[in-house]
Amino acid sequence: MNKKGFKNRLIRLTKNLLALLVVAAILFPIIWMLPAAFKDRTELFAIPNQFLPEEWSLDNFEKVFTLTLNGYNFTSSLLATLVVAVIATALSLFINMMAGYVFARMEFPLKNVIWWSVLITMFIPGITILLTSIRVVNMLKMVDTLMVLIIPGVVSAYNIFYFRQFFLAIPKSLEDAALLDGLGHFGTFWHIFRPMSTTPMIVIGISVFMGYWNSFMWPTLTVSDNAQIAQVTQIIRVLSDAYAGDYGVVVAASLISIAIPLVIYLIFQKKILEGIATTGLK
Amino acid sequence: MNRAAPERTESVKRPGSFRYRYKHTAYLMLLPALVLLGIFVMWPLVMAVIRSFQDYNSGEFVGFYNFKYILKTPSFVKAFKNVLILTVVTVALTMVTTFLFALLMRSLSNRMGYFARACVFVPFFISGIVASVIFNLLINYGGGLFTSLLIDAGKDPIAFAVEDHWPYFIIIAITIWMTFGYQTLIMYAGLLQIPKSLYEAAQLDGANFLHQTLFITIPNMKNYFVLVCISLVTANLQMFEIPFMVTGGGPLESTLTPVMYLYNSFRDPGRPQNVTIAGALLVMILIMVINIIVFKTVRSEKSGE
Repeated sequence: MNKKGFKNRLIRLTKNLLALLVVAAILFPIIWMLPAAFKDRTELFAIPNQFLPEEWSLDNFEKVFTLTLNGYNFTSSLLATLVVAVIATALSLFINMMAGYVFARMEFPLKNVIWWSVLITMFIPGITILLTSIRVVNMLKMVDTLMVLIIPGVVSAYNIFYFRQFFLAIPKSLEDAALLDGLGHFGTFWHIFRPMSTTPMIVIGISVFMGYWNSFMWPTLTVSDNAQIAQVTQIIRVLSDAYAGDYGVVVAASLISIAIPLVIYLIFQKKILEGIATTGLK
Repeated sequence: MNRAAPERTESVKRPGSFRYRYKHTAYLMLLPALVLLGIFVMWPLVMAVIRSFQDYNSGEFVGFYNFKYILKTPSFVKAFKNVLILTVVTVALTMVTTFLFALLMRSLSNRMGYFARACVFVPFFISGIVASVIFNLLINYGGGLFTSLLIDAGKDPIAFAVEDHWPYFIIIAITIWMTFGYQTLIMYAGLLQIPKSLYEAAQLDGANFLHQTLFITIPNMKNYFVLVCISLVTANLQMFEIPFMVTGGGPLESTLTPVMYLYNSFRDPGRPQNVTIAGALLVMILIMVINIIVFKTVRSEKSGE
């Protein structure tokens, strides 16, 4: 083999090793956590700290599913969080996609004014309207219900913008035929554009779902007096205080809470990664 | 690089009534989005602006009193300074590391590159709350992995959540860990849209990798840098969950952030809420000013080219 070929192979090897090193560094904390959920309380923070438990035990998981703490119950939290995230994702996709369609494909008076007032909301940080939002949901008698968890976050200017950009790139001839057939604009949106939008729907759908699944501050401030529908993040936070001395329980609860999103990721990984790479920015 | 949206072109000027013949359907289809934005974004915003100029108890208008008051509240000012430092360091580090990693991704084989991107994206799915639990297994003073390793090496364990500058490093490290994969994908997408012909021409001229990066890659990535920078700045200025879980804002409020201040004052009757709202508006103004500056800088550089 000639010298240049050897040098190229060496460079490629170094690059691969470097990439694997970064991957290992990012995944390490998660990998370290997996067996920790099966350690008992003496082993978890033992010195020296071992990767694998001496004895694999399901005690932590059993405790997670049986404990009740000030009315908090992990199973019902898991269920409530799932219900909230799924309903919110469906609503969010429908409403934002429909609005994106209107802004991309329809003409109506005051279109520009309405479009800009929607866009402006993209630049209002959540923190700025946090305290007054709580006042609003108080007035609407939504506090401590599933509604307060689902509804306020459903519409997002960014998601409307994202769908609008996607729909703008679709040739106009497509809907002309549908409109001539008497399908109407809603019919065109529902029967022609929606089925074409799998990739943006997955990208936006996953990000909405994760936003709800992982949200912490909003539920903490709005459903604090209804432990029945406490969200998973809330219960993990409560556990991390109450079970500081039996931390394996907290680790087990955390592990369960990331298992569901990771399964979704495994199923849709290709679409998600490609979707962000191709439609991520426009 | 043309990022402008392709607008619909109507070749024939149609009379207004025909052009707008679907307006009722349009309004109807927009209705849910507009109603919800109105109730849950615009209404709270208007309320926040009004309240920031009112006295909390009497409801009288007091001018800029609340703003002056919050700027004289030591905890809030401290929180503001903390989050500025944390944001600057986090954003700079995230941008440099994700850009470099994306460059590396581009030069890998397709399979290897995909595998690496898929792996580093995993933390995207983890909340700040759970990330803090995961990292606690490493940094726990009583017997986390690092304590164990330090003792093995014959050194004293470090209380990462309270000692020296460690709380900052830990918060920054976890924050970068959480966003690294997503931002790498955005950077990588940016690299892929640079035309290959530019590099081929440069190679003919004998430009090496460093030259190509400086004179082709970086100028062509400008829009992506702006986007990543703005989204990171906006997110990091609202940093909350990680410092809340890891340090609780301590030691001595050195990792307190404005959002944590807001969270703490929610149930604290000792803190007048309208003053806190004024503080939240200041954070919004800061975010908007930074966004405008970043936009303007890039635009003026472009026109100067």
